Amino acid sequence: MSLPASDGGDGSRYVNADTLEDALAIIAERHDDWSRQTGYPLCLEIVCQRPGGTVHPRGRSRYNFFVDTSGSAADGAGTELDPYGGVSSAATELIRLRRAGRLDLRAGQRIRLWHREMFSATSLERRKRIREAVARSVFSIMVTALVIPVLAIIAYLFFRAAPVISPAFLFENPKDGMTGGGIWAPLVGTFYLAIISLCIDAPIGILAAIYLNEYAPDNWFTRMINLAVVNLAGVPSIVHGLFGFGAFVLAARMGASVLAASCTLAVMSLPVIITCTREALASVPMSFREACWNLGATRWQTIRTIVLPNSFGGILTGVIFEICRTAGETAPILFTGVVFYMSGLPDHGLESVLPYGLFDQCLALQYHLFISSTQMTGVTEETLFGMAAVLVGLTLTINSVSISMRIYLRSRKKW
Amino acid sequence: MGIPTTSVAARVRHVWRLSERLREKAIEWAIRICGWSAIFFVLAIFFFVFREAAPMLLGGLDFKEFFTSPNWRPTSQVRPEYGILALLVGSLSLAGVAMAVAVPFGLGAAVFISEFCGGKTKETLKIVIELLAAVPSIVWGFVGLFVLAPLIVEWTGAQVGVNLLNAGIVVALMSVPIIVSIGEDALKAVPDSYREAALSLGASRWEIVYRVLFPAAKNGLLAAVLLGVGRAIGETMAVLMCTGHSINIPHSLLDPIRALTATIATELGDTVEGDEHWQALFTIGVVLFTITFVINLTADLVVKGIRSEKSA
Repeated sequence: MSLPASDGGDGSRYVNADTLEDALAIIAERHDDWSRQTGYPLCLEIVCQRPGGTVHPRGRSRYNFFVDTSGSAADGAGTELDPYGGVSSAATELIRLRRAGRLDLRAGQRIRLWHREMFSATSLERRKRIREAVARSVFSIMVTALVIPVLAIIAYLFFRAAPVISPAFLFENPKDGMTGGGIWAPLVGTFYLAIISLCIDAPIGILAAIYLNEYAPDNWFTRMINLAVVNLAGVPSIVHGLFGFGAFVLAARMGASVLAASCTLAVMSLPVIITCTREALASVPMSFREACWNLGATRWQTIRTIVLPNSFGGILTGVIFEICRTAGETAPILFTGVVFYMSGLPDHGLESVLPYGLFDQCLALQYHLFISSTQMTGVTEETLFGMAAVLVGLTLTINSVSISMRIYLRSRKKW
Repeated sequence: MGIPTTSVAARVRHVWRLSERLREKAIEWAIRICGWSAIFFVLAIFFFVFREAAPMLLGGLDFKEFFTSPNWRPTSQVRPEYGILALLVGSLSLAGVAMAVAVPFGLGAAVFISEFCGGKTKETLKIVIELLAAVPSIVWGFVGLFVLAPLIVEWTGAQVGVNLLNAGIVVALMSVPIIVSIGEDALKAVPDSYREAALSLGASRWEIVYRVLFPAAKNGLLAAVLLGVGRAIGETMAVLMCTGHSINIPHSLLDPIRALTATIATELGDTVEGDEHWQALFTIGVVLFTITFVINLTADLVVKGIRSEKSA
């Protein structure tokens, strides 16, 4: 059996020794205060091999011992937390272990003596750090995997749409049986639906939020209302469509019309307004209200003169956000008021901006995109991409306005 | 009335002031009624959808066939059949695939945003996620149809690109923002003292997330997942465009399916008001309403559960 020893630090390779004792003697002689002199971290390795064999450069060692070479530590058990006091004491301890038969020195076995500094990281610490790094990178990869493809898709939409998007595309009416021309009339229809539904649900939603935030007692009934708001937001949009059809088109005898479609959209986006307004109202500090009450103002006076002016910006943000939501919804208006084909759309002047009456049916860009991409032939793919890009651009723009307003208001807030 | 009034204007002002209490009462009642409107609307939705479905639901519908038969042949001349099993399985498998993608990514993103980054990165990511939520469902459907479908055909060799996988990915992308924002709220709701206690014991961030935040926020995270499922089941336009829309109990990811929502969207326009097919579609509406109602109720109870536990 030969026992080559390496010092691993200054570049020289293995030294041959015949027995473990010899090897340890060499180590003790050469390296007793090596680390203290050079300041290098130390790892000594003893590899067992048959005479004439070669050392495999990378092998796992079965035995790991730790040595504190600073010279100040007490003699320990050789573990990471409790290292040997020095190389020479490690050598005697190893020989004792060998004699006790606790070191199995077949060919290929390795013994490593690690230098251990007083405050260096233990393997527990290192594992922890590795795990931390892995977790962090996995999570950041997840976020990247979410964000990048979506941004890529949106960029691709705009890229494909670029050839057709022009003022003519935006401001001309569809022609040739709705397969050619621009998208002006559908675009106006989308705005119509969004604005009229806003006029319907903004007052209701804002008053409802005032009730929930300022008046509602803390009881089961209020809890029911909150639950109803959450549920209203969770009802599938197509069920809203069925409701709108049953309630507004049939029961209220509005017929399929702009009004019926707007009412349906209004019910659907009511929770959005309620939630946003409530948040804005809740951000007005209680002390403002208390101060006002102390002056003898009634509840409504307090709300009118103190709470509403101070939360106006937040409410406006919610209102804009609501427009963005309704502008993209298709399912609720499928049966309640949109059509794909309309003849005699006015091309110029005031009529082209106000082409629909409340009880007329209308075109809408989202429905136009749906029918053109699934049921029509003869519409070029570029036109479809153009419509999709306009729709995305519209909602993203409105939403960014709402977000930047929120950020601006937050930065200006003084309380 | 014994008030020294000299001019009409002063008299009007006086009456106006006297009516102040009255006006305030009127406004408060308006506020109260609007506040109750949410309950009213939920009941109205149920009432109006149920009313159209009632003739079928209350008389003559074979519930066993309705829920266990995979045959949906409402327009058959010989014998129309109304079995929604295939549609139900379609909707549920779609929700399953979407959640398998969206839950790990959504919760991972929520953890990253809430715990692993701060300052500008955090704000930017939150805004991007919020913008994602704003992309209309019809556009997602369009993307599935025109961007994803060719890619799926190319990569997997499937015969059609519109199938369970395509719709699953699209719906996953749509429900991720909900999962992220609600999951992040749930993590934010865990008191900082928990984090500080764990830090003082020497825990790393990952250990805090895994050992402290997950157990503490598990109800909120569960609610996030439930709402994501609700969104996936209720999604209509994107599902209609990306699933392939063929009645089919799926056996693999590449099978086309058909969802409950999409069935209503395509068929209602072709029915005659009040006939059996029409009633069957409204019955599907009732089923959908019930499913999402139960999911939302459960999510709400789950969240409320932790709140009362914490305050106790």
